[in-house]
Parts: sequence; structure tokens; C-alpha cells
Amino acid sequence: MTIWKLRNNNPLRKSYVTNNIKLKEFDALIRITVEMSKYLYPYIREILKSKEDIEENSAIWNDFNRRFIELIKERFNIDSVRVKKLLNQDENDEIIIKSLLILSFCISNHGYQKLKNFLYDF
Amino acid sequence: MIQNRLSFHQSSASLEVIGLPDYSNDENKDQISIISQWKLTIVDKPLIEGKIEHLGPIMDAFYIYSNLLIKNEIPIYESKLIDIKADNLHIHSIVLKSSKPNVKPLVLKIGNSLLSDTINCFDQLNESPKVRIKKTNIPTKIPKKLSFGLNKKVKFFNFFIPPFIAICSLILFSSSFIYFYSPLENIEKKELINPE
Repeated sequence: MTIWKLRNNNPLRKSYVTNNIKLKEFDALIRITVEMSKYLYPYIREILKSKEDIEENSAIWNDFNRRFIELIKERFNIDSVRVKKLLNQDENDEIIIKSLLILSFCISNHGYQKLKNFLYDF
Repeated sequence: MIQNRLSFHQSSASLEVIGLPDYSNDENKDQISIISQWKLTIVDKPLIEGKIEHLGPIMDAFYIYSNLLIKNEIPIYESKLIDIKADNLHIHSIVLKSSKPNVKPLVLKIGNSLLSDTINCFDQLNESPKVRIKKTNIPTKIPKKLSFGLNKKVKFFNFFIPPFIAICSLILFSSSFIYFYSPLENIEKKELINPE
């Protein structure tokens, strides 16, 4: 329930609520993300690989991209300019690839600190 | 003397480190502090191996390049030993230059999946309590745009911070004079002395 509430701090969401996220909660979200990345690394890797030789593995990339767009349409505020950019298939490749790369670089034991540094640098 | 071997694996990449413990520091016999050789194996690519003085700069190159890649900077890293640049969003070109004369540089093309496997192998090595790596310094060329960005940041702070501190100290210093001099009190005193 707490995690569900924390997700609503994302200003791109339809259900955005202006709660000020606390540092502890921010840290907890990063830890959850890193643990999920460790668990999902084989899938993340396959999605990245499928884009390298698109003719051979296009099905994996297409499935992922379709599901990504479905989720964005379902849960995000599609009137926002930034969300429109995420939905635009000509522009969203770079955003998706870089997001997947960030997750794949943070699966080590110190992944939490790495992801935190990446996020503070943005 | 039998050398220790440690291997770090991540999907299609594996890194092997061979070396000895530093007995002068009372280290365990399974520790590696004096690295004599290392090998980086990437599936379907030529074997990369070298001496200890090459491992640190190659690891640094991969880390710096990956940071540039995800921070929307120009993803180019150049040094005497290794160049890495992006061919496109998915493929990266690595040029490994041999320190021996008349040896052609080794050119590798790896995708994002192999890049993340390699970085994860380096992470495992860095985090391993059984290996100690001494850092070496090799001059590198950071892309102009990035170095300009860094200079700009430093210049901005150099420009902004001194006057800011000066103004703060001026306010603090001058506020203390409020307790020493009151113009109203002085006028009242003068009136008492000269009632006319």
C-alpha cells in the first residue's frame, strides 16, 4: 500500500499527488528498483540484444515496446508533453534504451549507490 | 609458486584475474594483490588480455564511457591504450592499442548487452574482497563538450561564490555596528546639553 502511494509522486502519472517524498522513501524505491533489476537482468539483456540485430529478434523488442506503450497510455497523463514524447515511437527508442542500460549497469552489490549517483546527476 | 586465479562471470562475458597475495601485508593465501595477468573473454569476440598496468585504465575507460552514454554526453573516450565510441545507439566500437611496436590495434564491435555484461564483470571484480587493484593514471581525452561543461561549472562557482561570501560577511560585520551607534540617542543627548 505504501509503495502504491509512493508511485503517485511521479508527476507524469494520472493519479499524481503532490506529497513530498521523504529521503528514506526515495532510498527505499531505489533499493526496490535495484533488486528488481538484478532479478530481471536476463530479460533486460535480451531486450537490449534484440535491438542490436533487429531483423533477427524484432519480436522481443516489438513486444516490449507495445507493452510499454500500453502501460503508459493506461497509467500516465497522456496530455503531458513529456508523456507524448514517451509514446512517440520515433523518439522513445533512445529513452527506453538508456533507461534499460541504467538498470543493467546497477545490478551489482553496490548497485544501489550507483543508481543513486546516476539519478542525482540527472 | 602457485598463482591464484579468480573468475567473474556475467552472461556472455567473463573476467579472469591471476596473481599472488601480498605476504608482506599478512594477507590470506587466497587473496590477489599482485596481479600478474588478466583475461577478458567476450563470447564471439577475440580474447582481451594484458598486464596489471592495463587493467585499471581499461576498467576506467568502460566506466567513463558508460557514464557519458547514459548522461546524454558525446559518448567518446580516447586514451593511449583504448578508444571507445558509439557507432549508433546500440553498437559500440572499441579500439585496443598494443604497447608493443608494429602490432596493429584490435578493433571490437559490441552491443549494449555485451557492454553491460562487461561492466558487471568489472563491478564484481571491484567489489570482490579477494582482489585489490592499485589505480594507475593514464592521460585521457574527455570530449570537448564535456570538458567545456566542467569548466563552465567551475567558472560559474568561482565567479559567484566570492561576491556572495563578501556580501554575507559585509552584512554580518555591519550589523554589529547597530549596537555601537544609535543616531537618535545622540540627537537626544545633544538636545539635553543645549536645551535651546
